[in-house]
Amino acid sequence: MSPDTPIDERFAELAAQLRLETPAMPERARREVLATTAAAAPPQTGWFSPRRLAVLAVPAAVGLSLALALVVGLNSALSGPRSDNRAASAKPTASTEQLELVAPSEDARDSNRLRSTGPAPTGGRVQDYSATLRLLVDGTDDLSATTQRALRTARRLGGYVVSVEYLTPEPGEGSAAIRLRIPVSRVQAAIVQFSGLGRILAQETRISDLQQPLDDLTRQIRRIQERIAQLRVQLGRPNISSSERARLEKHLASARNNLAGLRRERTEINRRAAYATVALDLTTQEPRQPEATPGRLRRALDDAVGILAAELAIAAYALIVASPFLLLLAAGFFGSRAYRRHADQRLLERA
Amino acid sequence: MRTATTSLEAAAERHLDDVYRYVLYLTRDPHAAEDLTAETFERAARLWHRFDPARGSAQTWLCQIARTVALDHLRSEERRRRREGRYATLNRQSATAGLESPTLSPWLQSALASLSAADREVIALRILLDLDAADAARVLGISPTACTTRLSRALQKLEEKVRPHLVA
Repeated sequence: MSPDTPIDERFAELAAQLRLETPAMPERARREVLATTAAAAPPQTGWFSPRRLAVLAVPAAVGLSLALALVVGLNSALSGPRSDNRAASAKPTASTEQLELVAPSEDARDSNRLRSTGPAPTGGRVQDYSATLRLLVDGTDDLSATTQRALRTARRLGGYVVSVEYLTPEPGEGSAAIRLRIPVSRVQAAIVQFSGLGRILAQETRISDLQQPLDDLTRQIRRIQERIAQLRVQLGRPNISSSERARLEKHLASARNNLAGLRRERTEINRRAAYATVALDLTTQEPRQPEATPGRLRRALDDAVGILAAELAIAAYALIVASPFLLLLAAGFFGSRAYRRHADQRLLERA
Repeated sequence: MRTATTSLEAAAERHLDDVYRYVLYLTRDPHAAEDLTAETFERAARLWHRFDPARGSAQTWLCQIARTVALDHLRSEERRRRREGRYATLNRQSATAGLESPTLSPWLQSALASLSAADREVIALRILLDLDAADAARVLGISPTACTTRLSRALQKLEEKVRPHLVA
């Protein structure tokens, strides 16, 4: 009798009686059965049973995944620094004559008092001058005052305000984006004064040369003027026919229209060149420090984690795709087993 | 019982009578029990390489095979009776007369025959073969608690049948 679940004491006598009358296999049949068992293959005692293999498959798969991640990580660590800044290193190819970008640095912060002005417009040439200045100010109160000062400075220098966007999304934090037009002759002075309004975080100056297109326009205008003069001379002749007069007048009208268009274009270029565009961005937020180039160990870890994440994603995807089929299989398996057991039990109840 | 058995021959030597008793209690027919025991060991000989001592004793494993063999036999018998109609009914009536084993007293044979095969098999496993509740439950495919409950119920029924003889 089992010690863990003893049989009820009430049935002890009955159990003893049953054990007393235990039937035994007849000797003849016994010998026959024993003869059939002599040549049986030994049972498996090693580790390679199907169940154990299945149990080992999961840790093996996990180990393989980790090993793959480790290999990729090590390979990445040993392959040298990654060139992540390829895009950033691409030089702009705009038709600008000069582009200067001052990144925030200790030197730049210290140079606040130097009133950095950037490259000056070239005297005697028509140029489209634009400058962007990003400044750090102390808090929203300072932001408001600085914005007002910038606007006053622009007006005092003969410029005007194109737009102002003033934002204080959270207490103590804010930004102002000011777009100004400053006479190009005074833009250097303006930038000097603007750079004194806060700590320079970044400065960009862009100069596009407009002299060449302006010269081209001037030449075209001159040619058209000469053409108009010729047409007028031809129209002034007394002996031209009416049809010829009409043709010449048509050409004259067309030339005048062209001349007017070219003059408008020239005026526009001169107007653009007369004023520089200054974008002044004020902010209360310290710029984020640029991330240091990760070391080999960090790169190895990042790559290994990336591989593991990719493997997990693939496994999750496969599981999601296969789960309906697995559920059906499991339901079929357990359902048929339950049905078979129930049928067996009913058979035994009847027998 | 978790002893690693190295050969089926040794296991058969040790558990042959256990299997026979279990099958006899299930079928109530000594001749069928002999055949089914032989078939159980034939099947065990074919499957012996898959036996894993770590997962259970040889006795439990052999009983599981014996149960499958006996259920197949009972199913085929039932089908045969169904086919043979009236004759089968008569045959069944004669079969329910007792558990025809010469080693059992007639009153015990009669009492056991009044139980269902489900009741008799749990008695065989727990009392005759002395399996613990966990091993018996594994053979029956039920939980140990259900096994214990089933045993109590079966013994209660049997005790009611044999009480006069036990008292005497």
